[in-house]
Amino acid sequence: MKMENNITEELFDEDYDLNEAEEIINKYLTFISADLVYGIPIENVVEIITNPCITSLPMVPPYVMGIINLRGQIVPIVDIRKIMNKPATEDVSISCVIILEIDSISIGVLVDIVLQVINVPNKVSALPSKNLPFISGMTNLSDGSVMYTLDCDLLISTK
Amino acid sequence: MNNGMDSMMDMYLFETNSLLEQLENIMLEAEKAKAFTAANIDEIFRIMHTIKGSSAMMEFDSIAKIAHRVEDLFFIFRQNNTTDSFSDAMRTELFNLILKTNDFMRTEIAKIEQNEPISDNIDNFINDINTFIEKLNSGESSSLETAENKKKDTSNTVTQNGAFLQSIPASTAPYIIRIVFDDGCGMEHLRAFMVKNTIMDNIGSNFKFYPEDVETNSETCNYIIDNGFFIFLEDEALVDSAVNAVKSSLNIASFEVISNPTAKAEKHKAAEITAVASEISADIAPIQNKASKKVNSAPAANQQSKQSIISVSLSKLDSLMAIVGEIVITESMVTSSPDLKGLKLDNFTKSTRQLRKLTDELQDIAMSMRMVPISGVFNKMNRIVRDMGQSLNKDVRLTIIGENTELDKTIVDSINDPLIHIVRNSMDHGIEETAAARAAAGKEPQGEIVLEAKHTGSDIIITIADDGVGVNPEKVLDKAKRNGILTKPESEYTKREILALLLAPGFSTNETVTEYSGRGVGMDVVKQNIEKVGGVVTIDSELGQGTCITLKIPLTLAIVDGMEISVGKSTFTIPITNIKQSFKCNHEEVIFDSVGNELIERMGNYYPIVRLHNLYSLETNVTDIEEGILVWVESSDKSYCLFVDSFIGEQQVVVKPLPPYLNGFNIKNAGVAGCTILGDGNISIILDALSLHTAFMNSL
Repeated sequence: MKMENNITEELFDEDYDLNEAEEIINKYLTFISADLVYGIPIENVVEIITNPCITSLPMVPPYVMGIINLRGQIVPIVDIRKIMNKPATEDVSISCVIILEIDSISIGVLVDIVLQVINVPNKVSALPSKNLPFISGMTNLSDGSVMYTLDCDLLISTK
Repeated sequence: MNNGMDSMMDMYLFETNSLLEQLENIMLEAEKAKAFTAANIDEIFRIMHTIKGSSAMMEFDSIAKIAHRVEDLFFIFRQNNTTDSFSDAMRTELFNLILKTNDFMRTEIAKIEQNEPISDNIDNFINDINTFIEKLNSGESSSLETAENKKKDTSNTVTQNGAFLQSIPASTAPYIIRIVFDDGCGMEHLRAFMVKNTIMDNIGSNFKFYPEDVETNSETCNYIIDNGFFIFLEDEALVDSAVNAVKSSLNIASFEVISNPTAKAEKHKAAEITAVASEISADIAPIQNKASKKVNSAPAANQQSKQSIISVSLSKLDSLMAIVGEIVITESMVTSSPDLKGLKLDNFTKSTRQLRKLTDELQDIAMSMRMVPISGVFNKMNRIVRDMGQSLNKDVRLTIIGENTELDKTIVDSINDPLIHIVRNSMDHGIEETAAARAAAGKEPQGEIVLEAKHTGSDIIITIADDGVGVNPEKVLDKAKRNGILTKPESEYTKREILALLLAPGFSTNETVTEYSGRGVGMDVVKQNIEKVGGVVTIDSELGQGTCITLKIPLTLAIVDGMEISVGKSTFTIPITNIKQSFKCNHEEVIFDSVGNELIERMGNYYPIVRLHNLYSLETNVTDIEEGILVWVESSDKSYCLFVDSFIGEQQVVVKPLPPYLNGFNIKNAGVAGCTILGDGNISIILDALSLHTAFMNSL
């Protein structure tokens, strides 16, 4: 995906009018992790599950929570908070996992709250000024908040 | 019908592939022995004949043609009954020719499998073979058609319909059978050739036919469509059996027996016969038409009934395996159901024992269905060693040990490419350039590569050893430094680590890229492919003495007997094959080494105690050595005692590979072999005793 380097001031939401027909609209699933809004391209999202039983693995980086049994398929789970170097959540009553499929590799990401699906025109995305880990772009939303686009390819590379 | 066609195609591909494999093996064997036995020649003749027939039937013209020429070639050998008179050069040429042909057919078959069009450009091959045949035949006039008379005949094939009798060459034979094939049945010339063969089988070769070059010249096809195919018979007695032969042939719309107008004698007799014959032909025609519709499925059915082996698609076997795996789990779930606790059920126990026995058997059979001997892959190496030996001018002998070792089909497939890489490397870099260099090093002039496969419990060990120059650690280190793949100071590398660098991506010790190796991807790919099936690659080498590459691959990926153990809240599975003993111990038995590590004495030896909760940083209340259980585990030469909280029980588990994402974390070196789903849906991690020991040593 090619990102452009200018930040447009224009604000939009999921009802954004498609009056520019040629505009490429990307759909994102947004979620909150440690008070920040992130977006994942919708084509990578398989399903959302809550409170999975996670089996931890030995000798892996702290952000790899472990593996779950998803209807017979073994799926690894990573914690977005730990990837972003944020403190662990205090509220452990409910956990939300978004199952992704990236290049036919299945992976689950543990997030705080799943929000909604939004439309984002391609050009309204920009590279982050700072060198943020696992972030491929950022976008202003209609309510004035900023959505960080999760870099899926980077997420599955384990370097 | 489409389905029938598919299964027929599958059968064709399966059969042709195995025939070609057989052919290659015979050729390589014969080359080693430097002569064909009569049995070999017959066998090759039979193989080519079958390929020709089935390819023609499936309308793969080019394959059929080549097979036919090779068949011709071996026909000559069969007649002479020997190839001993060959000069060395001639023999080499022959072997190269046949192997090249074999390769060509294989690529064509592969194309068919991929649904790609097969190449029609076979003139070169045909020419090569023809030249060879001519060389053989120089002096003796052969019964085989040569290229010249092909051309001569095709020049007069354009003829008007109806005036067919004028189109055929003048013959003195009093009886002519004219055969017309079904409209649009295709491959008329080859069908005609088959009819000719059938007649030949019935009455011997005492007849002529036209067009004469039906078997080799596809242009005669048009002539046969327009005019028919003609059989000339000298004797009335032969007419009946010839007619019978024609009747038994396929795809024939009609045929008639005609008295030859050029043969004036006995004209009236012939006319009678014509009348009779046309009656017959009227009777026959509908039957033939009916029969011809079934023709396509008939040969496949014949072959099937002959073979006691059927080919089953791998996906079906996979789903069978999956179901068997589930049955095994479900059986455990039922027999060890918590509802049964404390109940004394004699009949139930008896039945479950029976059930257990049956599921075990079922599982064994299901597993054995996927097991194939490794010889298929090993024998391919013969060819590589031969070809490379010729082009690199190295004399190398390949010794194969344990080729009947069986392992899972998917594993056999996945070790094919790695083995080719390794053998090529051994040929290219391993074995000395010249026999003189070998003699100087005090070795026998002929190099040797030993391929060996053997079982060790749950693994199969494949070693590829050569007695070549070996690996120079300094050179390797130097090269690795230049390529920038060193991760720590040079001086800290042990010999084992240096050899492991050979497997690192982007490493190649050979300076130049050759046809066979040297792109620096080989060993890297080998490692990747082997790891994909859960295997490990290790290299041993002594400078000047040779190199030995060992592949350790799990026998099957499917089911193991495991002991479930618990540490804190986690559940782990240790394969039963690794467990030697389990026991409780008290404080007095534990002794400490100089740096404070715990050891325990067992049967006269001292073994380290590996506390799993420490190693994996797990929270548990059981830290006192007297509370938990020690499990004495052993894998290859590593033996130690694992300290765990408690045993849960013995269970058969279906091994699931870990998700590919986790391979990046080197989890294979952390003592994790895979995972399994327990009866309650939870995941248990399967421990690998060998890499667990490595992880433990690293953690010290």
